[in-house]
Amino acid sequence: MTTPLPKRIIKETERLQSEPVPGISAVPHDDNARYFDVNVEGPGGSCYEGGVFSLELFLPDDYPMCPPRIRFLTRIYHPNIDRLGRICLDVLKNNWSPALQIRTILLSIQALLGAPNPEDPLNEAVAKQWKENQAEAIKTAREWTEKFAQKK
Amino acid sequence: MTLRGMRRLEARRQMEESNFLLSKARSQNLNPPVDFRLLDYVTAYDDNLMCAICRCPFVDPVVLAECDHYFCRDCIRQSWGSTYSPSGPRGDCPQCRTPARLGTRSATSKILVNILDDLLVKCPKHEEGCPVSVKRGEVEDHMNIYCGYAYQECAGERCELPVRRKDADQGCLHFGVSCFDCHETMQKSTLENHWRSECAVRRVTCPRCNMHVLSKDLDSHNSETCEAVSIPCPGASIGCTSRSKRSQAQTHAKSCTFAKLAPVISSQKSRMDEQEAAQKLLSRKLEVLETGFGVMQGILYPKVSVEADDLAADESRIPFLDNSASERTLPPHHPRMFSGDSSGNALSPFDFPVPPTSRPSSAAPGVARRASPIGLPPSESAAALRQHDPIEAYNTNYDLASPGLPPPSTSGGPYVSPLHHLLSMHESLRDEMSRVNSALQELDGRHSMQTLNENLRTREEISYLGAQLAGLSRQVHWLTSTQLQRQSRSATPSAVAGSSSEMAGTSVEAAVNAVSTAATALRGAARMVSVGQGQSSSGSHGPMRRENSAEGRTKL
Ligand SMILES: [Zn+2]
Ligand SMILES: [Zn+2]
Ligand SMILES: [Zn+2]
Ligand SMILES: [Zn+2]
Ligand SMILES: [Zn+2]
Ligand SMILES: [Zn+2]
Ligand SMILES: [Zn+2]
Repeated sequence: MTTPLPKRIIKETERLQSEPVPGISAVPHDDNARYFDVNVEGPGGSCYEGGVFSLELFLPDDYPMCPPRIRFLTRIYHPNIDRLGRICLDVLKNNWSPALQIRTILLSIQALLGAPNPEDPLNEAVAKQWKENQAEAIKTAREWTEKFAQKK
Repeated sequence: MTLRGMRRLEARRQMEESNFLLSKARSQNLNPPVDFRLLDYVTAYDDNLMCAICRCPFVDPVVLAECDHYFCRDCIRQSWGSTYSPSGPRGDCPQCRTPARLGTRSATSKILVNILDDLLVKCPKHEEGCPVSVKRGEVEDHMNIYCGYAYQECAGERCELPVRRKDADQGCLHFGVSCFDCHETMQKSTLENHWRSECAVRRVTCPRCNMHVLSKDLDSHNSETCEAVSIPCPGASIGCTSRSKRSQAQTHAKSCTFAKLAPVISSQKSRMDEQEAAQKLLSRKLEVLETGFGVMQGILYPKVSVEADDLAADESRIPFLDNSASERTLPPHHPRMFSGDSSGNALSPFDFPVPPTSRPSSAAPGVARRASPIGLPPSESAAALRQHDPIEAYNTNYDLASPGLPPPSTSGGPYVSPLHHLLSMHESLRDEMSRVNSALQELDGRHSMQTLNENLRTREEISYLGAQLAGLSRQVHWLTSTQLQRQSRSATPSAVAGSSSEMAGTSVEAAVNAVSTAATALRGAARMVSVGQGQSSSGSHGPMRRENSAEGRTKL
């Protein structure tokens, strides 16, 4: 079943190209306009600074009534992102609102990189380390960023 | 007229009606209802007319009763999905998350609906050739009644296929033909569309320049490349009225002054527009700031008639504006005085001045004011301040920007230039800011004073308790000593009794000791109370700042 692409997705895509968010890029696939390749730069001042993280984003059929599905493809050491790259972010789950857009979601993800929240962990091991020895955890995150999240 | 005739008439009427309904249903089938979200808008519209959910101009907008946000009826219903309640659909506003329910139809702004209906859109059939742009509110009428490219039922005998309205009078076109050029077979009714946009071979002769162009490129040829189409001079926007054929446009442009000037002027115009927009934004910001300050001023200094003794008020003003002076005349109840004093015993509670609330009203107002400037009721000082600040603000400005000019009248006469006006505005805003600041400090001081007062009362109580305890211990002492004396008198010879009395004496002593330790403990508690108070007043800014930062984050 192929439903015609809603005007909203077309408009969002156009705007992502015409006024891109600084530090974030999202490009739809040629063969599937609901599937985006996303690159997010680590926010300045965080332990992910200098890294470029790639994600995949998919807009389900009932978008915008349900949230887009997003996953990190680059490995990242973060208490709210698990080994499969899944993200623990309230607006991607219960707090989704159809007034949110791809760009706002990507901004929230960038903000999550700037402010890890070990109190609501998805990756228990990382969260434990984050709570017990933050300096060490931040160091590891830096190392991973240098190792995995570099521009090709 | 017989009964049979009546029946026949009735039967015929029914048949006609059903035929009409059938044809109406068919024509609706032929032209699917217009989806407003797929229309191409000719009028530019901004975000204010756009539904946050479908990102199109609202379609059948509804307002949420609790937060006044608008959405399309379908969008918000779909977004709330199955949450149903007897009082109508309800859910959280997608934009601000306020729990809300749909407003009534009459609550929807009529102006908004009119604006939406007036948006110009291209006919939904524009890709098939309809050149018409209509108001959105009339697009359905256009489709159902006027549009030549909308379908209706073929007029041919026993033919129920759709035909475009403009071709309806040509008889049935539903027979096979083949394109003369590419030999593809199709029905006659679709031939035109084939020529128009599909046929890769058919060429037509341009009626103007006699060039052969691909039939499907004819439109773009006319608007972009045809040499014979006359186009206006590039300088038309600034006054040249000459039109020339595209082939001769170059030669005209070379000799035309307007054409040469046009790019310069248009770039300047765009810059001017830009700056105008920027200025408009700035002035709006300024307006908002001004009204904001007005409101703040109103809150901080409610209007009171100015008192007669301006001189006294004047004196009290200086410590506010002059930083060093305010440092010196800082009242003793300022929180900073306590924060360093963690030991607490250096300060006797009675060293502090009586708070303004409990100050005896019999004191002469002038004297009281001079003695403690912060204690001055805020309304009076504000009135005094407001009287003086405009002069001061404008004076400094004039000195700064154009020293040669005489200072303006205080009645707020015309300013030399908008810059001056802005500068003075800026200066007065800054003054306002510092005044607000000092008022806040004052408030803070008063607040800490209040807590201190309460603290003081507790301390008093504690010391009273201590005194009572001391009295008690004295009494105990007295009682035990009399007991001892009585015992020694009654049993002088007995050594055993003596030892027992000794034992009694030590136990009594222990009791006294216990009482005195209790007293010191009480005193310690009192000290703790005072220290805690001091700390709490000095640390009271912490949570506020944290709140601010949290707020900033959510805004982001
Ligand atoms: Zn909508
Ligand atoms: Zn709302
Ligand atoms: Zn039309
Ligand atoms: Zn026909
Ligand atoms: Zn053809
Ligand atoms: Zn031509
Ligand atoms: Zn000209």
